[in-house]
Amino acid sequence: MSFRALCIVFSFMTFFLYVVLVGSLFYFLDRTVFVERLLSERALFSIQLSILAASVATLISVIVAVPSAFALSRFAFPGRGIVDTMLELPMIVSPAALGAMILIFFNNPVGEWIQTNWQQFVFTVYGIILAQFVTTCGIATRLIKAAMDEIPVRYEAVARSLGATPAKAFLTITLPMSKRGILAASILTWAKALGEFGATMTVAGSMAMNTETLPIAIFMRLSTADIEGTVALILILISIGITLLYAVRLLTRNTHYA
Amino acid sequence: MLEATGISVKVGHFLLNKVSLAVKKSHCHVILGPTGSGKTLLLESLMGLRKPDTGRVLIDGVDSTGLPIERRRLSYVPQDLALFPHLTVRDNIIYGPRVSGTRNDTNVDELVSSLGIEHILNRATHNLSGGERQRVALARALASECSYLLLDEPLSSLHESLRKELWFLLKDLLKRYGLSILMVTHDLEEAFFLGDFISVMIDGRIRQEGNKGDIYNRPDDLEVARFLGIRNLFQGELTEITGNVLTVFSDELGASVRASAMTCSNHSRPDFEVDAKVVLGVRSENMEILRRDHTAKASYNKIGGVIETILDKAASFLVTVRPHCFSACQRTLEAELPNHVFHDLRLEKGRNVTVFLHEEKVFVIPYESRR
Repeated sequence: MSFRALCIVFSFMTFFLYVVLVGSLFYFLDRTVFVERLLSERALFSIQLSILAASVATLISVIVAVPSAFALSRFAFPGRGIVDTMLELPMIVSPAALGAMILIFFNNPVGEWIQTNWQQFVFTVYGIILAQFVTTCGIATRLIKAAMDEIPVRYEAVARSLGATPAKAFLTITLPMSKRGILAASILTWAKALGEFGATMTVAGSMAMNTETLPIAIFMRLSTADIEGTVALILILISIGITLLYAVRLLTRNTHYA
Repeated sequence: MLEATGISVKVGHFLLNKVSLAVKKSHCHVILGPTGSGKTLLLESLMGLRKPDTGRVLIDGVDSTGLPIERRRLSYVPQDLALFPHLTVRDNIIYGPRVSGTRNDTNVDELVSSLGIEHILNRATHNLSGGERQRVALARALASECSYLLLDEPLSSLHESLRKELWFLLKDLLKRYGLSILMVTHDLEEAFFLGDFISVMIDGRIRQEGNKGDIYNRPDDLEVARFLGIRNLFQGELTEITGNVLTVFSDELGASVRASAMTCSNHSRPDFEVDAKVVLGVRSENMEILRRDHTAKASYNKIGGVIETILDKAASFLVTVRPHCFSACQRTLEAELPNHVFHDLRLEKGRNVTVFLHEEKVFVIPYESRR
């Protein structure tokens, strides 16, 4: 077998792994139960909450990530290496541990003060958004930085030579040129936030019709042996995820700057 | 005037070493040098993209070393042009006037018309041909009405005919708008065509500067001579100085050659002394192969030899001649002859010929400069 064929076999092995897993869901799929579960008040609440929380968390993540990514992509400053490394914290620390860290923070004097005088996070929707923000912000920054790294600094240099201030060059050149990368990063961040379970569960708990996001609902259905309900919710999550990932592929193709 | 005084920048192991130059108003100043000689680094330092370790940048007499890029008023056209891909041609051109709040549609219309790009104003930049891209980049740089235009090999990626077409366009723009240009290139023909003043940069240092005639005919040292494509370079010893005439005996040629002192490098002209070791050189196109009845020529600077190779360059012939020496000569002379001269002389391989070196076309370089 040629090297090329061997590599293709491996890629199909990975593909079939997921196809088999998704396919096995259909073994337990009962159309009547699927429609009933999908249209149940509790499922619809979970879907709405998941979409709302993921959207808000993504919006905040991207607002923070864009300037951070630009700084890391363009400027040399003290501590840049440490900041860059810390962005990977959500990737190396498990989501449950991140959630535990958030809980511990809200049990120290500063956290307690915030909860008492400003906003209650633990066991609330705000806790879900915070947990999702903490797990996605670093990834969003890393993805947007990668998009900005693709854009040669010369474009900004030319813009500035034509009279643009650094801020104007960023707003009129770098930002529009990295638009597709930022959009793709936003979608991936949203998908990651939508599927987030560990940190959300730890910070916000699993209160039905209150803090029950889609992944938490899946866990709750499974823990009560409601397989049909679990399958219905998983298929919804997969449908949303696959649609988004395909959108990312469409957005990121043919983007290349010399 | 745009001036650099003693600019030094270290990047990795490369050092831009105390570079000084002055770009006069309404002149095209060319920095000519091989790839990796530091030309782009110098432009970036003048632009403000790199902070020089030492030295100053003066723009119209004002010390601008610490000024941000946008306040220097130096338009920059990089090698890849960096046309903004998300903007149309029109928006690219008016980018400068728009961000600096100096938009003047009449000036822009006139500029667009003089560059012949009216028909592509609404096009996206990725739909442009190579020549159109160059014109748009020039229009964008000129529309901002900066004091100086910095060009970083902007024509290097174009094919020959288009490149030459743009040379004429640049010449026309230079005259029409009284542009002050600092351009870097490794292309000798481009430098001599466009440059009013040329600085030759090698290994991070300006090795020679002067008008194009000086640079072309009187290289200061061996490296500059080699970079300029001069292959007839021979070691020798200065045997006589009579008025303005130097006589050099070269072992490598097995002959004495006279050179007018006027053709010795005037930039770092040494006080030549008899017995000093020197290198003499002459461009291959300045060599003459004499007819058999060459009695009218002077009695000196004639070197007899045998034709070793003949290369047909389509527009000319390159003839190498091995001189007759007492001991076998290691070096050959190269003469480039126009087609009609070559055919008129009926030269062929193995024929004995006499090569004549015009005294005023031979230059002499101190031996110390040989590395």
